[in-house]
Amino acid sequence: MSALQKSFARAHLQNLPPPPLPPPVPVFDEREEEDEQDHPSLSASDSSSSASSTGTIIPSPTRNLFERPRVSKSQYDSLPWQDFFDREIYLDNGATRHHAYFSAPASLDAPLFCFHHGAGASGLSFASLTAALRSAVPEAGYLSPDCRGHGETQTPENQTLDLSLATLATDLAFVINATHVQMGWQRLPPIILLGHSLGGAVVTEVAYRKLLGNAILGYGVFDVVEGSAMDALQSMESYLSSRPRSFQSVASGIEWHVRSRTIRNTTSARVSVPPLLVQNQLEDSPATWLWRTDLSATKPFWENWFTGLSSKFLSVPGAGKLLLLAGTDRLDKELMIGQMQGKYQLQVFPDAGHFVHEDQPEKTAMIVADFWRRNDRSTLVLPPKVDDLIKQGKLKPANQKK
Amino acid sequence: MARCAALLRQQMMRPEFLRRAWMSQLNEDGDEEASFSFPSSLIGLERWRLPQEGCVEFDQPRSSIVRSIRDNFEAIEEDATDLAIAQLRACRPIPEPQVRELCYKARELLIEEGNVVTVDAPVTICGDIHGQFHDLMELFRVGGDVPDTNYLFMGDFVDRGFYSLESFLLLLCLKVRYPDRITLIRGNHESRQITTVYGFYDECIRKYGSANVWRYCCEVFDYLALGALILGASTEVPENRMQEKTFDTQTTLPDQESEIECEVLDANGEVREKLFRSQGNMNPASASRKSPAPDRDPAESSSPATTVSQPPTSPSQSNTKPPTASLFQPPSTTTGSLLCVHGGLSPLISTLNAIRLLDRKQEVPHEGAMCDLLWSDPDDIEGWGLSPRGAGFLFGSDIVRHFNHKNDLSMIARAHQLVMEGYKEMFSKQIVTVWSAPNYCYRCGNVAAILELGEDGSHGGCIRRANGSEGRREMVGGSVNSVGDGETTNGSNQNGGGLNAVLWNLATPGRRYRVFEAAPQGTRGMPAKKPVGEYFL
Repeated sequence: MSALQKSFARAHLQNLPPPPLPPPVPVFDEREEEDEQDHPSLSASDSSSSASSTGTIIPSPTRNLFERPRVSKSQYDSLPWQDFFDREIYLDNGATRHHAYFSAPASLDAPLFCFHHGAGASGLSFASLTAALRSAVPEAGYLSPDCRGHGETQTPENQTLDLSLATLATDLAFVINATHVQMGWQRLPPIILLGHSLGGAVVTEVAYRKLLGNAILGYGVFDVVEGSAMDALQSMESYLSSRPRSFQSVASGIEWHVRSRTIRNTTSARVSVPPLLVQNQLEDSPATWLWRTDLSATKPFWENWFTGLSSKFLSVPGAGKLLLLAGTDRLDKELMIGQMQGKYQLQVFPDAGHFVHEDQPEKTAMIVADFWRRNDRSTLVLPPKVDDLIKQGKLKPANQKK
Repeated sequence: MARCAALLRQQMMRPEFLRRAWMSQLNEDGDEEASFSFPSSLIGLERWRLPQEGCVEFDQPRSSIVRSIRDNFEAIEEDATDLAIAQLRACRPIPEPQVRELCYKARELLIEEGNVVTVDAPVTICGDIHGQFHDLMELFRVGGDVPDTNYLFMGDFVDRGFYSLESFLLLLCLKVRYPDRITLIRGNHESRQITTVYGFYDECIRKYGSANVWRYCCEVFDYLALGALILGASTEVPENRMQEKTFDTQTTLPDQESEIECEVLDANGEVREKLFRSQGNMNPASASRKSPAPDRDPAESSSPATTVSQPPTSPSQSNTKPPTASLFQPPSTTTGSLLCVHGGLSPLISTLNAIRLLDRKQEVPHEGAMCDLLWSDPDDIEGWGLSPRGAGFLFGSDIVRHFNHKNDLSMIARAHQLVMEGYKEMFSKQIVTVWSAPNYCYRCGNVAAILELGEDGSHGGCIRRANGSEGRREMVGGSVNSVGDGETTNGSNQNGGGLNAVLWNLATPGRRYRVFEAAPQGTRGMPAKKPVGEYFL
C-alpha cells in the first residue's frame, strides 16, 4: 500500500463518524454468541446486503452496519406488578412479614386461586397466568405470596432462613388465613392451590396436612415429579454455578432469562424477573444486580422438599389433582401407576420449559380453568343415581316381572 | 393367459414390490370389466386391462381367467401381508408406502364394522399394550398365536412403550390378514392429541423422519370400533388348548365337571387358582378385592346372609332355555353377552343401541358419550362421580348392575386402568378390568393378564336376547333392588323356562385368566433414554 493510498484512506476515515462506543461488556459473555442466532432475520438481512455488493456500503451515523444487532431496550423493560394484580398485602406473622399479590374474588362463592412459586422465583411468577386466568374466570380471586427468603417477604435478619417444607406449608396456610381475616370474609372461598416446582411440594403438603380444611377444591402441581426432581438435584449445583452471578441492569437480567430460554415468554419474564434481582450497593464497583435468593444456600432443604411428594400427591382424598408437566412426561413409578389408575389429571405441554405457566400462560389458564370447573362443587351436577330414579318412580325397577 | 397371470404373479412376488392391487368390481356375469391397477413402477402401466377375446388366444372361458387372476391376486396379497407380518414380528418397521397400503386396507375393513362389533366366543380379551412390543409377543406366546386364537384387543396399543409403531402395525396387519380372528377397538390413546404427547408421534418421527406414518395411523384410529359385544360365551372355562398343544407335560387339565367358573393360569399354563361356581368366595388372589362378593349376587349392598341363603347354583343348567327351543333359542346358550369397551360407561349411554348411534369417525372428543366410553372408570361409589382424570366419569356398582340388566349383559370387560395383578373383577363380577402391559412403562412392576372365554356351542344364538333392545326389558327377571335380589333370582331359576328364564343376573361366563410377566430383559433392547439434568427447584 503506497503512502498516497494511506494518506487518502486516512483523510477519508477522518470524515467518517466516530466509531460507536463499544457496547457495555455484559457479564455473561458466553451468551453473546447466541445473539445472532436469536435474531436470524436481523442478521440475515444485514449479511445479505453486505454480501451482495460491498460497494453499496454507506456508513452512516444512524446505521452501524457491523455492530451486533441490538434489540430495542424497551423489549426487556420491566413491567409493574400493578398490571396484573389489584393490590399487594403485607401480613405479619411474628417477626416475619409476608408479602403477597392479591386480587379479591367477586364473591365468596367464586374461587380463590392461591399460588406458590418455586425456589428462587417470586409471587410474580404467576402474574401472566393470572392475567390469562382473569379473562377465563373473571370472578375469581388470586393470591400469590412471596415465599420467605424470596421477593418482598421479610424475615428477621438474625435468623437463619428456615425453608423446610413444613414451615413453607404453614406459611402458605397462614397467608391464606390472614388474608381471610384481613378481608373480613365470613369463610374461606373455595380454593384452588397451584404450585410450581418447590411450590408444588408446598401446596401438596398444605393439602396433605389439611391445613385449610375443607376449603380446598383441588390442587395443581406444575412441573415437578419426585423421582425426576431427586435425580436432577445432583446436577443442580452445576446448573446454579453456570448462571451469571450478577447483571448490569434489570433489563439485562430479563434478557438473560429470555435468551437462555429459562423463561420463554418475554412478557412474563418482564414482570417475573425484576423481583428476583436486588441491587448491590455495598461494593465500590459499579452497581450490579444480584440474585435476591442464594439458591445454593437452600441446598440442605432440597431433599426435604421433594421426598415423599408423589405419595402425598396421590393420597389426598376429596380434592381434585392436576399435574402439569413440561416437555415429556417424566413420571416416576408411583405417579405412573397413579396416572394409569386414573387418580389424577395429567397434562403435558411438550413445547414449554420448566416455567410452564410463564411460557404458556394461556394454555395453562385454559387447563386450570377447566380443572376448576370440573371440581367446582357448587355447580357440579352429576347424573342421578339409578336407585334414586327408581324411588322417584321415573325408572322401573328391574325386578318387576310384568 | 395362464402365462400372463404367472408373469404377473412373478412380478408381484418380487420382495421389494409391496403390492397394492385391487380388482375393480366384476360385472354381475363376471366377465366384462376386469381391470387391475398396480403401481406404475411395476409394469409401466397405470392400468392393465384384460385383453379382449380375439387379441390373445384363450384356452379357457374369459370369466374363468378373470377368476383365476383374482384368486392369484388374493394369494399374492396374502403372501405380501404375511411378509409384512413376518417383518413386524421381528420388530422391524415396514416401509412407509407399505404402511400406507396397510392403513388404507385396514380402514376399508374397519369402516364396515359397527360401533359395537359382534364377536363370537371363543375369544381372548386383552387390555392395554402401550407399545410394549416384546410383551405383546409374550402375550401371543402365552395366549396362542393368531390365527389359532381369536383375539380382542381393547385399545391403547400405542404410547409410552418404545415400540408403539411395531405393535400397532403388527396388530393392524393381523387384522387385515385375519379379519375374523382379531378385533381391535379404540382406546383413549388412539387419538391425535394424546399420541403427540405420550410418545407415538415422536416415535414415528424418529423411525421414519416424517409424520406421515403417524398421520396414516391416526386416520385408522378414527375408524376403530368403540366397543365389542361377545356372544355365545360358555359358562364353562374354555378348553385349555395350550395344554394339549404346547405343554404336553402339564398334568393339570381342567376339571370336566363344568363347575369351574374362573381359573387363573400362569404363563406356563400351570393352574394357580380355581374358583368353583358353588363356592361363595373367590380365590385367594381375588380375596384382596374390595368386594369379595358371592357368586351370583348382583347387589353390592345386600348382606352376606341374604346371599348365603341362596342355594348353590349351577346356572349353566338352570338358565338354559327349554330343550325344545327353536332355531332362535338354541338350547346351549348359557350366558348373556359381554360388552368390551376401553374405558367404561357413560351417563349418556343407557343402551348398546345408543353406542351404535354415535358418529365415531372423529378424533376422540373432550366430552360426551364417545369420550366417556374411552375414559371412564368404575369406582366404589354409588351413582356417577367425577373422574380425577379430567375426562370421563366414575361409575358405581348400581350403574353397572342396571346397565348390564338392561342390556342383557352378563359382564363388562374393560381395560384403561393399570391393575397390578393383571386383572380385577369388581361389583360382584359385573365388570372386569384386564391389563395386558406387564411391568408397565418398564417400571411399574405389575403383571399382565388376558381373559379367555369359551364358546357354548350356540354360535351366537343368544343374539336374540342380547342385542340390547329395550323393549324386552319387561320380560326380564331378576332384580336391581338390593333387598329383593336373592329371592327373585332364585324364583326365576326355578321357573326356569321360556322367556322368563332370562335372568337379571345372567350367569357370568367361565373365565380363564392367563397371567404373565414382562418378556425377559435380554430381548428388550430398550433404547437408553436418560433424562438430562434440569432446573427443578
